[in-house]
Amino acid sequence: MADTAYIAGIYEHPTRNAEGISTAELHADVAFGALADAGLGLSDVDGFFCGAEAPGVGGFSMAEYLGLTRLRHMDTTETGGSSYMVHLSHAAQAIAAGKCDVALITLADRPVAGKAGPRLAGVDFSLIPERHFQPPVPPFPMLGYAMVARRHMHDFGTTSEQLAWVKVAASHHAQHNPQARLRKVLTVEDVLASPMVADPLHRDDCCVLTDGGGALVVVRAEIARQLKRPPVRIRGTGEAMQHAAGGRADLTRSAGVRSGAIAFAEAGLTPEDIRYASIYDSFTITVIVELEDLGFCAKGQGGRFVADGNLIAGVGRLPVNTDGGGLCNNHPGNKGGMTKILEAVRQCRGEAHPAVQVPRHDLVLAHGTGGSLAGQHMAATVILEAM
Amino acid sequence: MSGHDTQPREAALLAEYQAAAEAGILLLRACQSCGEAHVYPRPHCPLCGHRGTEWRKASGAATLYSYTTSPMLPPATHYAMVTLAEGPTMPTIIVQSDFEALEIGQPMTLRFTKGPKGAPVPAFVAPASLRAEAYAARVIAEADAVPPGEAPALAQVAVIGGGTMGQGLVSACLIAGLSAVLVDRAHEALERARSVIAANVAQAIDKGKARPAAAACLDALVCTTDMAAISRADVVIEAVYEAMALKQEVMAQADRFARPGAVLGTNTSTLDIDAIARATTRPGAVVGLHFFSPAHIMKLLEIVRGTATEPATLAAARALGDRLRKTSVTVGNAFGFVGNRLMIAREHHAAQLLLAGALPQEVDAFQTGFGLPMGTFTLQDMAGGIELAYRQRQDTGRTDWLIDRLFKAGRTGLKSGKGYYRYEPGSRKPIPDPEVEALIREWSAAEGVTRRPIPPAEMHDRLILPMLNEGFKLLEEGIADRPEDVDTVWLRGYGWPAWRGGPMYYAQQKGLGAILDRLTALQAQEGEAFRPAALLQSMVAEGRALFAPSPDAA
Ligand SMILES: NC(=O)c1ccc[n+]([C@@H]2O[C@H](COP(=O)([O-])OP(=O)(O)OC[C@H]3O[C@@H](n4cnc5c(N)ncnc54)[C@H](O)[C@@H]3O)[C@@H](O)[C@H]2O)c1
Repeated sequence: MADTAYIAGIYEHPTRNAEGISTAELHADVAFGALADAGLGLSDVDGFFCGAEAPGVGGFSMAEYLGLTRLRHMDTTETGGSSYMVHLSHAAQAIAAGKCDVALITLADRPVAGKAGPRLAGVDFSLIPERHFQPPVPPFPMLGYAMVARRHMHDFGTTSEQLAWVKVAASHHAQHNPQARLRKVLTVEDVLASPMVADPLHRDDCCVLTDGGGALVVVRAEIARQLKRPPVRIRGTGEAMQHAAGGRADLTRSAGVRSGAIAFAEAGLTPEDIRYASIYDSFTITVIVELEDLGFCAKGQGGRFVADGNLIAGVGRLPVNTDGGGLCNNHPGNKGGMTKILEAVRQCRGEAHPAVQVPRHDLVLAHGTGGSLAGQHMAATVILEAM
Repeated sequence: MSGHDTQPREAALLAEYQAAAEAGILLLRACQSCGEAHVYPRPHCPLCGHRGTEWRKASGAATLYSYTTSPMLPPATHYAMVTLAEGPTMPTIIVQSDFEALEIGQPMTLRFTKGPKGAPVPAFVAPASLRAEAYAARVIAEADAVPPGEAPALAQVAVIGGGTMGQGLVSACLIAGLSAVLVDRAHEALERARSVIAANVAQAIDKGKARPAAAACLDALVCTTDMAAISRADVVIEAVYEAMALKQEVMAQADRFARPGAVLGTNTSTLDIDAIARATTRPGAVVGLHFFSPAHIMKLLEIVRGTATEPATLAAARALGDRLRKTSVTVGNAFGFVGNRLMIAREHHAAQLLLAGALPQEVDAFQTGFGLPMGTFTLQDMAGGIELAYRQRQDTGRTDWLIDRLFKAGRTGLKSGKGYYRYEPGSRKPIPDPEVEALIREWSAAEGVTRRPIPPAEMHDRLILPMLNEGFKLLEEGIADRPEDVDTVWLRGYGWPAWRGGPMYYAQQKGLGAILDRLTALQAQEGEAFRPAALLQSMVAEGRALFAPSPDAA
């Protein structure tokens, strides 16, 4: 991608339980937070991106609620947790095409306060065409991911201990994040001792359920150069969708194989160039499959790759999710893509917590998987560069 | 959110798909151009884009692609993906299969099950379940196929005691076209009994389950307080209150009036057959006839052999069982006979689990998840078990911390609207009750037990293994003649899931050595209630199998 689009402002909502705060208010909190970080105001925004959880009709209601009066570009693509990698990519493309100069991307939801559980707001699974032919099973994502994990174990010898290492790494990082939902440092034994929720996944193999959200401000290069924050360039992006294909799915390979390849090709880079990675961690198994698919290790080697602290900053070869990730820090609205990008930007700026900041942070990656690895999902990869 | 989605074409496909499912057929949709099958029906081919597809019947053969289980799933259900022989991999559920025995790549067989809305949904079962079911069907067929021998003619049955069991027994006889006499000491009891019996028989006739003579037999039914009326009966069965002195007195009277050669049966569930036999002048003719309630419905008959019971008496009892279309199993005379011995072991340990940290709903959920029709505490509430346990103990002076308090709080079960659970008026649905939970916590505190969550694997070991252990003891004591008999009793009378083959079959599949190890560990940890049966120990030591030949041999 040419030198066109930069992330100029970021904000992560500090709440993890939004009792008493409406979803619209949360959107406003994160929007103003990110604009303030960028040093911009509402009147600068001419592009708006949000997902289906934004209350009201598409992006209309939030645009009016926030007070966005200069919009000439809007995108309400919903791909679950990866929506925000997709929005980032689409914002960069819109800026490159001259369709907007300052894009605001917001995510905010309150499934905890709203007692909605691990469900996406604003989408209606009861209308999917295959509904009459699905087995009578409650629509909990962890059931599908448990099948991914078991198949991965069967095909490649991945173990529960290796899965647990992903959580252990996240917990090591989360101890330094005062806002993290879970801050206790865990051992592999702790994770294995947590109750089985969907065999072979333990409770600690699952991400947290949180309220809150986050926002990004993406701007044209010329604007970025006038702002005070360290400029973070969007160097490459890729998106890819995968589904059951009439019953020909491979549970151990995600659409990340393609989204990663596209992003690396666009950036002119390879996985070896990446100093830090935010890897979507709805479940521990998600990280293992994605690391393989992105090329950080060979297919089937993900379990070995994550073991023994290899994802822990200051310890391992590839620090991952240094904010504590979705597994320990935050998974607002059951969509972890936003927080993945936020921590990647912090690392890229050199503004992560000193205990987890990677020393060389010129090139970082954020990868998301929205939907279910076991069925329909959208993978999206973004590669960011410190300028 | 709402849709505007009427999909007339897809509605028609759905109707055809569901009609096939009703007939046990899984339909796939296949492309008329590329020939590939896809999982959920669409009018076009999602693989090549051709707009023309047709039905293709799935063979039902598949291999397991991946699977999981979770407390969020319905009991005894696992979520899975299977690869059909026709190509596609589909999400589905696995039913009637032991989760531990599943393995990726193993063959699976289609079996429709009832979905939450009552319509059939495709599900799959594991080969081990099919083998267990085949075994279960075989032992029951064997039990039913014992040749009659020289059974005496059977025309009339007399029942003494017109309560719950008496009513069921008379109903069963009439439905089978036998003439019957009912004796009770109370006229009201007889009147009540007659109307219940008439309703039972009418229902069986309606359902086409009665012999042609049933209606005439009902008309001829004699209900009387006069014991002399039993004098022409071929079999006399007493079903009076469960008290030894009363039973002995009633049997002595029956002895006086019954014709020579008649069988004197007792329906006792807990009393010593020999002691009852001693009250008569013909102990050789006395036999336990342990029917289950409701006796005209339940399929099992435990024929209890006393020390003096003569072969001819056993043959006559057997003939009665055959005539009533029961599965008869002859067992020895010991407290609980065969079926209740396993039940008592389970109930004892279920209570211990409450003390250790579990709640009634958790213990029950484990049991239904295992495949049993009902959990301990739901069953106790339904059958009035709290009151029964309380009353039975009163002359012994023994106490039971929890049951005594439940009883005194008026928590006697479903009938009183509260027991281990509470019940909404008119509903039989058990609802967990914080009051009971508080009581259980108090109990643990009183016993100095630190409560902890009990994982399902531990529930399995502490509820199921003692039942298996009890089975070994019954074999060792000669109360059960063969492991197949224990299995038949629990399959037929207690709802042991056929796909687990029976308790002893299950023990064999789990491995006797593994069971011995677990019981030994539990004995060390929890006490003597887990002491492994001597027979189990010697079989493991000598490497002997429980079944010879293998239970899966055709
Ligand atoms: N209810 C069950 O689930 C069940 C199952 C298996 C076996 N049993 C056994 O069956 C027997 C009867 O149980 P039930 O539940 O039917 O009891 P019940 O209390 O319903 O009925 C007992 C009946 O016996 C009558 N009776 C008492 N003394 C009598 C006498 N001297 N002469 C004639 N009739 C007399 C009573 O009037 C009453 O109608 C018991 O031995 C019990 O252990 C019961």
